[in-house]
Amino acid sequence: MTSLYAPSADDVMRRLRPFGLFFEKSLKDLIKAIRSAGENPEELQLVLNKALSESREEVGSPDLNLKANAVVKLTYLEMYGFDMSWANFHVLEVMSSSKLQHKRVGYLAASQSFYKDSDVLMLATNLLKKDLKYDGSNDILKMGVTLSGLSTMVTTPLASDICDDLFSMLGSSKPYIRKKAVAALFKVFLQYPEALRDNFDKFVSKLEDEDLSVVSATVSVICELSKKNPLPFIALSPLLYEMLLTVDNNWIIIRLLKLFTNLSQVEPKLRVKILPKVLELMEVTSATSVIYESINCIVKGQMLEEDDFDTASSCLQELNKFCNSTDPNLRYISVVLFYKIGKINAEFINEFNTLVIRLLKDVDISIRSRALELLEGATNDENITSIVQILIKQFIDKDMVSATNLFRQPGSGGVEIEIPLSYKLKMVSTILKICSMKSYANIPDFDWYIAVLSDLCVLSQDLNSSNLGHELADEIRNIMVKVPSMRPKFISAIITLVVNKDICQQMPMILREGFWCIGEFSALLQDGNHLIKEFVKQKRLPPDVQQVLAQALLKIFSNWCNTSGDIIYAEVKDTLKELVKFYEGFSTSPSFEVQERSVEFLEFCRLCEESLDQQEEEEGLPLLLTEVLPSFFDAYDLNPIVLGTQKKLQSSFTLDLETPFMTEEEIEALLAEAAGKNEENSGLISDIDSRLDSDEDDSLTSYMQPLARELGSEVKMSAEEREYSEAKRKQERMDNPFYLETGEPEIIKNASPLLDFDDDAKLSVVKSFSELHLPYTGPKDSDETKKKRKKKKNSRSKAQVLTEEGLPDLPRDAELTKESHDRIDNAISTENSNAINLRMQSKLENFDFSPPSLTSDGQSENISEHQPELEKLRAKFATNSRMDDPPEEEVVVVSKKKNPSPNPSQSLSRARKKRRATLKLKLMKRAKRVTAFSHKMFFAL
Amino acid sequence: MVQIDYMLMISRQGKVRLMRWFCPYSAKDKNKICRELTTTVLSRKTKMCNILEYQDHKVVYKRYASLYFVCGINSDANNELLTLEIIHRYVEAMDTYFNNVCELDIIFNFSKAYEILNEILICDGAITETSKHSILKTVASMDALETSDNLDQVLS
Repeated sequence: MTSLYAPSADDVMRRLRPFGLFFEKSLKDLIKAIRSAGENPEELQLVLNKALSESREEVGSPDLNLKANAVVKLTYLEMYGFDMSWANFHVLEVMSSSKLQHKRVGYLAASQSFYKDSDVLMLATNLLKKDLKYDGSNDILKMGVTLSGLSTMVTTPLASDICDDLFSMLGSSKPYIRKKAVAALFKVFLQYPEALRDNFDKFVSKLEDEDLSVVSATVSVICELSKKNPLPFIALSPLLYEMLLTVDNNWIIIRLLKLFTNLSQVEPKLRVKILPKVLELMEVTSATSVIYESINCIVKGQMLEEDDFDTASSCLQELNKFCNSTDPNLRYISVVLFYKIGKINAEFINEFNTLVIRLLKDVDISIRSRALELLEGATNDENITSIVQILIKQFIDKDMVSATNLFRQPGSGGVEIEIPLSYKLKMVSTILKICSMKSYANIPDFDWYIAVLSDLCVLSQDLNSSNLGHELADEIRNIMVKVPSMRPKFISAIITLVVNKDICQQMPMILREGFWCIGEFSALLQDGNHLIKEFVKQKRLPPDVQQVLAQALLKIFSNWCNTSGDIIYAEVKDTLKELVKFYEGFSTSPSFEVQERSVEFLEFCRLCEESLDQQEEEEGLPLLLTEVLPSFFDAYDLNPIVLGTQKKLQSSFTLDLETPFMTEEEIEALLAEAAGKNEENSGLISDIDSRLDSDEDDSLTSYMQPLARELGSEVKMSAEEREYSEAKRKQERMDNPFYLETGEPEIIKNASPLLDFDDDAKLSVVKSFSELHLPYTGPKDSDETKKKRKKKKNSRSKAQVLTEEGLPDLPRDAELTKESHDRIDNAISTENSNAINLRMQSKLENFDFSPPSLTSDGQSENISEHQPELEKLRAKFATNSRMDDPPEEEVVVVSKKKNPSPNPSQSLSRARKKRRATLKLKLMKRAKRVTAFSHKMFFAL
Repeated sequence: MVQIDYMLMISRQGKVRLMRWFCPYSAKDKNKICRELTTTVLSRKTKMCNILEYQDHKVVYKRYASLYFVCGINSDANNELLTLEIIHRYVEAMDTYFNNVCELDIIFNFSKAYEILNEILICDGAITETSKHSILKTVASMDALETSDNLDQVLS
């Protein structure tokens, strides 16, 4: 208690004597008791509960001193989380005391607990009105207390009741009162915009008050109001501009800049006038917050145009200086602004990529995390490797929390930086994003990228984020599909990933896509049988992985049987046995999809086993394995398609499920012929035929095969028959929406497509992998529009990236993509749903500011706009607000509550107001010509 | 300008010494914000910046001796540097008022601390009185008035 103003112990004693001893016992004792309870939570709880019940008793006492004391205690206890709204009526009593001491306590408690408690506020209205009456010298302070308290509890009815009092206070001779009144009016305007409309001039005139603090408060209020509804204040811009030139108080300048930021968002013309001034200000001033605010004003006020490199660079130079400062706050805010400028045009920040890289190594994680967002604009194909390297290194750094590590970063002051999980997540997805940008245009070397991807998979396995796992998995699949030349190399990387036990446990998400890739491109593999034996061991997988695995195994098997030249008969048998065992295990799976697929494949494998048993070893593998099995999968290459294409197809075509692939006679003939050759086989084929027929709407439609062709080519149809079916099939394919390729299907019709190697596919095949067979048939040149190839400048190491195919000229295209975007947006918004909403409700946003009274022409000039669009908007608002008119409605309701008989004069005046408003609109149009002229004058200046 | 949504004063032990809400939060939200911000702010290192993102808004904090002053501000329309400046003004004002303020002063005179805050952040945190002199003058004259009130009572 060494303070100048705080009472000494003696003072307190002296003051308290007339009250009895209770005061000393109270707040101070309460605090002491709480402090002595110290760290023991149980004891503390006891003390708090006791204090609360004591206060509860005391607050009901008739003695005002005792009551006030109890209220103080309750206010203190509120900080410990005890609700005190039950005591609101007692607080009101304390507020009504004539003593300033009580009043202060009362208003303090009220501002903490009164919020929107309508019952108490109704009672408080009269008290407030009384307290705002100005009669005597000491009352200034009383009014000050009242006004401070008032601003926290304004509601619409209260606002409408007291606004006249507040306006009369604007004329007070004391600057303190004027200032407080202006401040309180802000809250009133938010709840009751009519007050601003009716007294606009009176309020705005406070901008020219002789006292600077009043001006400052007025500017602040206008600035805050313009955030909600900037339209009415645009007319003030000449005056405000004048102030910006003359005022030298930095606080006011910053507020003015904020204000102009809001105004220029709706009035782009202001830019011409304001921008040079703001730039000048930026150069002249030495205050960092003014510089910061100037840049803010330029960026947020939409004054920075996409091609305005001069302005951008002068802003960025300043920010660059901030980034080099030792103050982390400056670094942080400038990174945020950097990002905003980069959003306007990414080229602005291109030259600052060294800065961005440096920021990635900042001591402060929040700055690093902001710098990550900048990367998108700052990466190019030259620095991407170093950036990714830095990021990945940060991952590993965390493991080296040792004494030697303390000296690694000189700026960190010897503190090991703990990198939070959220940052790591952000980092990995940023790496993926910057790498896949512009369809992998930044990637200098895909070998490197594949290494990065596998590293990321290993590193992020303990991050335990399924989202990230899916992102990585998608990326792996994308590379596999889109970069054909890297497939041989990448597939081995994927295999190492999926057999990694840790990854299987921590990130099952990438298994699904991994297995799919291996299965789909299994033709690139040599020793499929070993792989199969490896994969069937993996039992504990989630069902969505199992269903992909089931299919992948069969694909691997099929490719293995048919690619490698010298297959050992026994090994095939062995592998098949493994597969049967595997599918048997899954055929009772609780997951429907897994079960169905496994049962299907199981049956097929059993058939294969039987046919193997019956065939002699010298005869080679049975046809079932060499012809039927590959035909399940190898008809077409999968090309990347644009998101949503499949949906478009499904909605615009109807799938014909009725027409059989072959007519009755064809089947008859076919069976008869086949029976002649091999009784066993033909039976099987028809069996499979019928089964696969029903399998048609399987989710993997891309594998759907025109069975007729495969069967036909195999079982030697007569020439006419074949021709006929061929033509029919072609026709069918044209009609079938699931075939994207319009080129000649002949290419795939090779007898052994897996051995086909398309040389002119312009692929750079790595020679060391030449033992792997690459079945890739390059994208059809006949369809240039769909596949515009990207010509790379330095094609030495860059592989070709396939572009996505889509369907042209579909009107629903935009709609669909929009839909998918919406979905993403929704996902994001639901993510944030647990965030606390800070937006306060105010009635100002959509309020019609056309003044309802005809009193002054000057007012209409002030308010009317010089832009026809705004005028229209205004008219729209006017009709809206006239239709529902919520603020006034509420006034009437409340007055009904107060007074059982409805107040006729109020509704009458409302009707009159409306009539005036329409009249005013007409008048304003006439006045517009005059204002337009005056504004032209201003802008011509 | 600076629209401050709430201001908390948290001791290094994680105790709330003062809290002022300028927005209508529910009691549950208030507790959540207090709890979460206490842990995040206290765990930050000295070299880190004083601005952090929390839920949908920004939080600006500053440490003075054993006290952390934490302000929640609306994220898109605010000047973080000014918020820091306001915190500083507040601390300066209290320092002058209590004559070298310490945590105990604030604990035992919490209502005074609130009064000073009320003078600085007028009107729901939307407007700031920037003159330290005028703030102290007002608070002092209120104190004087209070004392004279009490004197009256003693005499009567």
